[in-house]
Amino acid sequence: MGLFDILTGKRKVKQPAESRLFAMSTAGVHLDMSMGLTSSGKAAIVFQPLATTDFESIVTDMEEVLRGTGEETGTGVEKTDDSFGYRWMILSDPEYEDLVVGVNVVSQALQDGGYGERILCAVFAFRDAKDQPVYWIYNYKRGAYYPFVPAGGDQRRDTERELRLKAQIGSELPIEAELERWFPLWGIPI
Amino acid sequence: MARPTSFGKDTGLQVRMTITMFLLGLVYVVLVVALLAAGANGVTVAIIAAGLAAFQLFGSDKLALRAMGAREVSPAEAPELHAMIERLCIQADLPKPKVAVADTRMPNAFALGRSPKSATVCATTGIMEQLSPAELEGVMAHELTHVANRDVLVMTLAGFFATIAAYVVQFGFLFGGGHGDDDDNPSAMVLFLVSIVVYVVSFLLMQALSRYREFAADRGAALITGRPSALASALQTISSGMHRIPQRDLRASQELSAFYFFPPGVGKAIGGLFATHPPMEKRIAALERLERQLQGTAA
Repeated sequence: MGLFDILTGKRKVKQPAESRLFAMSTAGVHLDMSMGLTSSGKAAIVFQPLATTDFESIVTDMEEVLRGTGEETGTGVEKTDDSFGYRWMILSDPEYEDLVVGVNVVSQALQDGGYGERILCAVFAFRDAKDQPVYWIYNYKRGAYYPFVPAGGDQRRDTERELRLKAQIGSELPIEAELERWFPLWGIPI
Repeated sequence: MARPTSFGKDTGLQVRMTITMFLLGLVYVVLVVALLAAGANGVTVAIIAAGLAAFQLFGSDKLALRAMGAREVSPAEAPELHAMIERLCIQADLPKPKVAVADTRMPNAFALGRSPKSATVCATTGIMEQLSPAELEGVMAHELTHVANRDVLVMTLAGFFATIAAYVVQFGFLFGGGHGDDDDNPSAMVLFLVSIVVYVVSFLLMQALSRYREFAADRGAALITGRPSALASALQTISSGMHRIPQRDLRASQELSAFYFFPPGVGKAIGGLFATHPPMEKRIAALERLERQLQGTAA
């Protein structure tokens, strides 16, 4: 935001940064081979559903496309609304790369409709060797990934593990540089 | 149907805000000239005022929180509030502010801090009880927009010269008297008169600026959440609650009240000109306009 924007209180909601979503498909091998993280077969994209006819028709069209391609690739689609009013499009597919493609279909449809700023994030779920969940969250507005490891118990996260994951992943993924923007997402349904 | 591209556009507000700031600047230039003409005394007052403004910007957050009976809460203490603010921060592309809760039945919320990195947002227990999650989300988005727009900084700086003028008016006798050479020092008298005018005019302009920034924060909140009507409904709930509940918790200073979500002690007796917040009806009307833009039914 520029000085003039601050002075006049102008405020636009930030649009997604240049997409680095697909870094996840190439990083998948590294995550699996070197870090012992296997895909749980699920990914999700989270957005704010607007209560307008225009937005609803875009979402309906997008779901149809998703289900259409899902029949070919075997990607399952579910949707649920969380208690904060955000919608989760949950994709399930044993083929890890199809998940990334599916997430991209959703975000692309919203952006093409002019609603890119409504996307909150995408979540890719992994399991470690002990079958504990490890999430990689993609922040569209920042164009960067960060790890999120719930530590069990209410609202606790394993920060040490997350920092270690950041070191291990190296340059395979674009990582969010500011740690205060590693926003947790509690109660991830995947 | 094409996407409603006009959502959130309000050129009139932008123009009014710019004009107000321009007028404030103009008034202040006059004051600075008078201060310089008054010589050493004038410069001293300016330096003292700068020191106080700096203190206000850098040191007053904790004080203000304590005055409100608010305390910072951890994610474990207020999980819902934290999670809500985290999501809004992703949407607004802001770093996460500190989160505080004030234990009072009065439904309100406010934001503190000179920059997004040092910001604190505070909600009262009253507002968390009375509002639905979507309404509370609108209110917190309003406060986060204050943070993003750096309203504390803007209003402190905008009020800087008004503070100087106030000092000169209050301690005007220091300039005039002293060495018995009153007759040789007409600039002190001029400064005193200029300060009175600057004080009055800048006060009104500051109040207007504050109201415009409230409108801007409402609009920002609607943009972030995509739900203008939820915020309008929150305003309605709070304003009816505000009148029901006796205002015994009013210990806030004037400066603080500018960053309240809803001003405490707002009565019909206070003229619109002197209010830091626009009347509730106007805020709701502005939000209704946003909802129409969003729905694509705006003319």
